Amino acid sequence: MATSHSKKAAEFLKNPEKITRHDQTFWSVREKRDKMAAMLPEWEDLREHASQIKQHTVTHLADYLEQFANNLEKNGVIVHWAKDAQEFNEIAYGILETHKVKKLVKSKSMLTEECEMNDYLIERGIDVVETDLGERIIQLMNLKPAHIVMPAIHLMRDEVGEMFEEKGISTEEGNHDPTFLTQCARYSLREEFIEAEAGMTGCNFGVAATGDCVICTNEGNADMSTSIPKLHIVSMGIEKVIPDYDALAVFQRLLCRCGTGQPTTTFTSHFRKARPDGEMHVILVDNGRSDMIANDTHWKTLKCIRCGACMNTCPVYRRSMGYSYSYFIPGPIGVNLGMLKDPQKHSGNVSACSLCLSCDHVCPTKVEPGSQIYNWRQELEAFGTENKEKKLMANGMRTVFENYALYDTLLKSSSIVNYVPRKLFETKLNAWGIGHEMMQFPKKPFHQIYKQAMKELKEKK
Amino acid sequence: MKKEDLFAKLRQGTCQQFDMPKEPVKGIVYDDVAKQFIEMSKTVGAKVIEVSPDDDLNETIRAAYPEAKVFASNVEGVKADRNPDAVAEAADLNGTDVGIIKGVFGVAENGCVWIPQTMKERSVCFISEELVILLDRNSLVNNMHEAYKQVEMTEYGYGVFISGPSKTADIEQSLVMGAQAARGVTVILIG
Ligand code: SF4
Repeated sequence: MATSHSKKAAEFLKNPEKITRHDQTFWSVREKRDKMAAMLPEWEDLREHASQIKQHTVTHLADYLEQFANNLEKNGVIVHWAKDAQEFNEIAYGILETHKVKKLVKSKSMLTEECEMNDYLIERGIDVVETDLGERIIQLMNLKPAHIVMPAIHLMRDEVGEMFEEKGISTEEGNHDPTFLTQCARYSLREEFIEAEAGMTGCNFGVAATGDCVICTNEGNADMSTSIPKLHIVSMGIEKVIPDYDALAVFQRLLCRCGTGQPTTTFTSHFRKARPDGEMHVILVDNGRSDMIANDTHWKTLKCIRCGACMNTCPVYRRSMGYSYSYFIPGPIGVNLGMLKDPQKHSGNVSACSLCLSCDHVCPTKVEPGSQIYNWRQELEAFGTENKEKKLMANGMRTVFENYALYDTLLKSSSIVNYVPRKLFETKLNAWGIGHEMMQFPKKPFHQIYKQAMKELKEKK
Repeated sequence: MKKEDLFAKLRQGTCQQFDMPKEPVKGIVYDDVAKQFIEMSKTVGAKVIEVSPDDDLNETIRAAYPEAKVFASNVEGVKADRNPDAVAEAADLNGTDVGIIKGVFGVAENGCVWIPQTMKERSVCFISEELVILLDRNSLVNNMHEAYKQVEMTEYGYGVFISGPSKTADIEQSLVMGAQAARGVTVILIG
């Protein structure tokens, strides 16, 4: 009965200390989010607005993209359109090659992760340097992000410290103090910023009315990446466009409060034009998003602003870590995105949900990732990836529940189970036996007790 | 990909269309905007110095950073060793101890200050070890809704909301100031 997710999760669960730490870290972020929400009386109003603005924008996406691109071009920005990952990588490489770029400093972008751009560029001789500290750590360790906002949070300071020593970023052996390590990275990255000929950023929001690309960071790495090199490339999924500044205010207020429990990100940077004597390119990427729009049940997934709140609150994510999921974005939203991308490949993640719907409650744009996972579960049969054992059990149960005589007989005899030796239940075949105590069946079924009680009550009267 | 093809596909594929919400959000309003702004600035890691319009800004800045050697600014009346309008390259501003810039308005709910680019090399806002932001006390607004009504871009086409120093919590969630940009921010509130 084990799915790909539960198998991988079992691996991580072998280290209970790490998992407990992971769980507590993200729960504390969830608590910070709650505090932020409680400080604003208009919190639910904000969420409702965010949800409505997003559902308006994504269902009028062509209009807003057109307006956005026109405004960019008016400001001298060069706009490109990419159908898929391949096209995106080719365009990015094309721009870099024309400018003879040898080193590219990059501020975190999940889209370039989605398109596996780094490998593509590195293979072609371009030195790609991640500049978000978490992302840099992950890159130097040859790992993938385990969370969309805090990509390296699953690592311990000693792991980072030892790697910094190995790479010559830190020279003080054994000093694994986070402040010290951050300073080491600061100096090393500064050299990279100065050497690089181009900077690439993602884009949190594209404002159609003004043509601004808005990028939110705490480290200021998007600004460092674009205020020293003269070439700036923005990689942006087409769903990131929003109507205007009024809408932006709503999302700016929600993004960080939901994601990390801060009142704002330290830097909310607006890019509308290239630097003096520079060049600015925006690559707008579809890569399956136009198919999502056409999915009647799941188009809502496009409302997501990638705050990460649904991961932080998810009891399954917190106890199984990002790498348990087969899709590069983990947690509730990742389960949905993976299914939209390739249901055959990623349906093993659909089980990674307890349907507690905590994610539905914290999501700032009401994507309802948990409810959508429920819907995916109903659709698994269509992809031939439903769980055959569960299906068999469910069918068996239906036979029982639909046949009262059979149900009654089974109930009457259910307490016999109490006498079956425990060992029989704890076989590998019974996946529920793992980590669960067998329940005690009552001697009399509830129906009988109820009937008898009612009878006694009547007689007393 | 041709954008027209994408637009056609999007228009055709959209299942159902929705309207924008009718009423705007009523953002939080504070009894004392300045008090809230100062409190939030401290929460996000900035220092705030309150001065009156007659105070000597240069003295205030030197007193706040007695050890600093290299100052950079293009703000009128501010004494500096480097001018971001005059340097040949953005990287020439590396090694600046204190960069001094002007904010247009501050936001009470989160300590953000709006800084449109008003210098040739905006790297002064990020590359400096410490950043001083000059801000008029009368320019404070309550929340981001009010803020975005006032945002105006300069010819440079770049602007940023800054709220405290550059920070990270990427290593074991411990908060460290000075990840990439300024390690410290002092907002000088004038008025
Ligand atoms: S689904 Fe909602 S909570 Fe999850 S990342 Fe997206 S916006 Fe945030």
